[in-house]
Amino acid sequence: MADLLAQLESLAEAARRDVAAASDERALEELRVRFLGKKGELSAALRGMGQLAPEERPRVGEVANRVRDEVEALLAGGRRRLADAKLESELSGPPLDATLPGRRLVSRGHRHPITQAADEIAAIFARLGYEVASGPEIELDDYNFEALNIPKDHPARDMQDTFYVDIATLGGAAAPGTVVLRTHTSPVQIRSMLRAGKPPIRIICPGRVYRSDYDQTHSPMFHQVEGLCVDRGITFADLKGTLAAFARAFFGPGTKTRFRPSYFPFVEPGAEVDVSCSLCGGTGRKDGKRCGTCKETGWLEVLGAGMVHPKVLHNGGMPAEVTGFAFGFGVERMAMLRYGVDDLRLFFENDLRFLEQF
Amino acid sequence: MRISYQWLAEYVDGLPPPEELARRLTAVGLEVEGLERRGAELAGVVAARIVASEKHPNAEKLSITRVERGEGEPLQIVCGAKNYQVGDVVPLAPVGTVLPGGTKIEQAKLRGVESFGMLCSARELGLDADASGLLLLPRDLAPGTPIAKALQLDDVVLEVNVTPNRPDALSHLGIAREVAALLGREVKPPAPRLAEGGGAASDAVRVRIEAPEKCPRYAARVIEGVKIGPAPGWLARRLEACGVRSISNVVDATNFALLELGHPLHAFDLDRVAGREIVVRTARPGEKLTTLDGKERALDPDDLLIADRDRGSALAGVMGGGESEIGPGTTRVLLESAWFAPQGIRRTSRRHGLKTEASHRFERGADPGMVLPALDRCAALIAELAGGTVRSGVVDARSADAAPVEVGLRWVRPGELLGMPVARQDARHILTSLGFKVRVEDDQGAIFAVPSWRQDVTLEEDLVEELVRSLGYDAIPETLPRLALATPALPDEAKGVERIRLALEADGFSEAVSFSFIAPADQQAFDPSGQPVGLANPISAELAVMRTGLLPSLLRALERNLRQRVEDVRIYELARAYRRGPGPGDEPADEWWEVAGVLMGRRSPVGWSVPAAPVDLYDAKTAVEGILSALAIDDVTYAARAEPWSHPRASAAVLGEREAVLGTVGELHPRIAAAFGLPRGVFAFRLDLTALLAHAELVPRYRGVPRFPAVLRDLAVVVADGVEAAEVVEAVEAEPLVEGATLFDLYTGAPIPPGKKNLALALRYRAADRTLTDAEVDEAHARIVARLREDPAIRAELRG
Repeated sequence: MADLLAQLESLAEAARRDVAAASDERALEELRVRFLGKKGELSAALRGMGQLAPEERPRVGEVANRVRDEVEALLAGGRRRLADAKLESELSGPPLDATLPGRRLVSRGHRHPITQAADEIAAIFARLGYEVASGPEIELDDYNFEALNIPKDHPARDMQDTFYVDIATLGGAAAPGTVVLRTHTSPVQIRSMLRAGKPPIRIICPGRVYRSDYDQTHSPMFHQVEGLCVDRGITFADLKGTLAAFARAFFGPGTKTRFRPSYFPFVEPGAEVDVSCSLCGGTGRKDGKRCGTCKETGWLEVLGAGMVHPKVLHNGGMPAEVTGFAFGFGVERMAMLRYGVDDLRLFFENDLRFLEQF
Repeated sequence: MRISYQWLAEYVDGLPPPEELARRLTAVGLEVEGLERRGAELAGVVAARIVASEKHPNAEKLSITRVERGEGEPLQIVCGAKNYQVGDVVPLAPVGTVLPGGTKIEQAKLRGVESFGMLCSARELGLDADASGLLLLPRDLAPGTPIAKALQLDDVVLEVNVTPNRPDALSHLGIAREVAALLGREVKPPAPRLAEGGGAASDAVRVRIEAPEKCPRYAARVIEGVKIGPAPGWLARRLEACGVRSISNVVDATNFALLELGHPLHAFDLDRVAGREIVVRTARPGEKLTTLDGKERALDPDDLLIADRDRGSALAGVMGGGESEIGPGTTRVLLESAWFAPQGIRRTSRRHGLKTEASHRFERGADPGMVLPALDRCAALIAELAGGTVRSGVVDARSADAAPVEVGLRWVRPGELLGMPVARQDARHILTSLGFKVRVEDDQGAIFAVPSWRQDVTLEEDLVEELVRSLGYDAIPETLPRLALATPALPDEAKGVERIRLALEADGFSEAVSFSFIAPADQQAFDPSGQPVGLANPISAELAVMRTGLLPSLLRALERNLRQRVEDVRIYELARAYRRGPGPGDEPADEWWEVAGVLMGRRSPVGWSVPAAPVDLYDAKTAVEGILSALAIDDVTYAARAEPWSHPRASAAVLGEREAVLGTVGELHPRIAAAFGLPRGVFAFRLDLTALLAHAELVPRYRGVPRFPAVLRDLAVVVADGVEAAEVVEAVEAEPLVEGATLFDLYTGAPIPPGKKNLALALRYRAADRTLTDAEVDEAHARIVARLREDPAIRAELRG
């Protein structure tokens, strides 16, 4: 029995020595086979158990189990050591070239700045409870002018150079001069009131508009956003509050607004609205120099607004006691201010070198 | 309207400085768009007294003068003029001055004598044509006084943007009324001293109005014995400051009265008025008139004429005629002051493309109360400037006067409309200072008579605007409307559009925005059978028809980018297209939304680990599939089909449920590419937005997660080239146990025989209620193979 026990001890001793010396996975595997395999040294030693007296067997069995557990633990430890060493050598190797660019299979596309500006304007008003409305761009003179208190033979028509549709191409029975490309989004005011039938009405309408004027600062097609709020008890103070809230949301929290009396036939009283210059902060000077954006005035004219003219409310089918306000932005102007674009024509040239900046 | 600050100062005392005045006018709705300082071109030129003069030793025509200029030693100036005496005060341009003509004065030696500047004539100062000698200034003028100040040329012109509703502000008196109201002062209108003499005017001319609805009033005076000549300098300068050219004393007098009082007047040579009779009538059929600009105009029966016994002499309220024009020999003047109905004037002005100072005011509504004052003012001025006698009396033809307009104001109304109450006494004060008169007043409100010059005021709201113009919008608080809370749902359309945009951006497309009108030739090339809406007055032939699709615009943009050497381009546009209507409801044309894109160049940006390849049809299809996937539109099929713009062999219709056409994707037709100056290799798609949104599933519907594992098997088949991949996939997916099949390889070439192709498919087998056994899958696979072999449209051979 003593022989057998000594054999087991020397087996454990050999395992301790050899596992510590093993330098790779294969060596460890060979050791496992040598010590613990079916034909390994431990099995060989245990085959000698049969010759022992039955009372000696438990003692030897106990030692054999301890030795097996120890060898297994030694092997597991050896594997961990090898894995650690391998990871350590990977971690401490030379770094990859981090300056190589990422792998982009398709470049990212860019949204047009006018769309971005119009969407943002509409989103701000959506948060104030306004619904998006729309109307045709090829529009009846009635909606574009007459219903908005701009009668035929009225000088206010000169404020907007109008594109007329060639009636022959329309196919209907319309008379010449009765169909236009809308010169503003304001006809949507009338259409929205007629559609709703009754107050309250809160709509916002972004869209294309057309005027036959083409030079450095005028484009024959451009974009407006129209807003209309009609209900009982709506006041000019509400218009001021609404546009001030909008200006702060669009141009930044410190933005101030200023209303100046002006004339648009479809509002009374009417106003032009200025916001404090977003570039110079309303000081008129930037980096010690004259601010070119506001021409040193500190103010930027951005929109027209006013209380809806009683005739317009009437033409929209609204009851006599309601009031309302309306306003209209030029989207290009807003986009130019927001992004610092200095030439209106860039918006319609669709030069990728321009579009990719947004 | 150009307003002279000096001129304005004659009607209101205590004007604030020009900048301040400009700010305050802008604040009451008369926007001052610019300030122009007059006389700046004479900077440096000063008054100088000639203290000595002697003949030039070496030049017959020159003198050597010494002049005092209020500072320093007297200067020695060599001078060629003869019209002065020692002691005279004349303009001096010292060394360094730049004269209006651009001449820079430099120190010079004239025939051996030093000269330190130049003494100037009126012409050299750009004042008038007089070059006969030095401009002699008043002798009591202090030497050193800037010449611009001495001649009252240091005026400031305010450029006032007068909105179309305010014809009353189109004159110095009109602006003065506004200024007086805002300063709390009285306006001082001109008080002409009119000395009448000779016979009655009515003996010299008769006036008959045949069209009283177009001309309710026509008044005239006669001035006899006038001598036509140039206008004096002060008058010419006034007109010039306002942008009006000086013509002659009589014509300038009418223009002066126009700019002063806002009322257009016209002067006729009475001796050329046939029959000494003025008839205000509409034009007769076929009638012609040669206007002052020398153009013969065919008249419309709607045009109003000022005629004599025989023929037309003027296009009423718009422009005079050549026949009766004031000329150098005119001695008897018939002066017209009338009131014409605005709409008629506007129609005539537009019909003949004639915009004049007169038509500008009449079409906006002249002041009927100004007919006689303007007539008197102008007649007095003519008598003063051109001599002559004003015959006594006015020939005044008029129909019944319109009653003055009266408008009521409820005291509560300003508060209701503005959100800021206006006290009764404040309202009354503001309105009366603007010329409104209280007719009746009680605790509820008042009725105001509107001054004759404020034809724009007809409603209570107009009175409220007058109040707020005076109080300023700054006084109104900022509130938010008290409305029932509403949370408008984002419409499906907006959600769908946003998804489409995101999908296209992910696929590398940037958004273009192009004009809705395009060249008819482009339109024709793309949609030969379309019915585009045309413009009656396009800006140019290149922008003459409304597009029936977006692709022509995108190709133009592509071509512009190529010219800039931007060669990898993916752009899309999401906008309306238009065609002959009618549209829904009363909309005159049919408008619908389309999304279209074009692409060319490299598939991927140049990179170190990205293969370089040009885009092809399947990149265009990727974009289409990206959109469809973003909208969760399944069950789309593609059928080889071309549009006029697409390559007949590389084009497909995108079909939704029940073969509904969603759009087209394809290669650009080589002939169209050539027509647009584009190379081959351009691909495009167009999709109908309404159709897309109709098919979209914006809210996903949960379909369950598989509870049993899938079994994966690959299948490779060889089919004829003409067999479409979709047919094979469809046949495979017809097997109930197949959950899906993905084409993962397409191969032609050896060892595949010519005219055939090898398709490799990854099949996913799955049953919803159990784990499939190998035997089940084997059977199903065999069924599929058999079907592919036997299907006459496929006739597949199995490989490997």
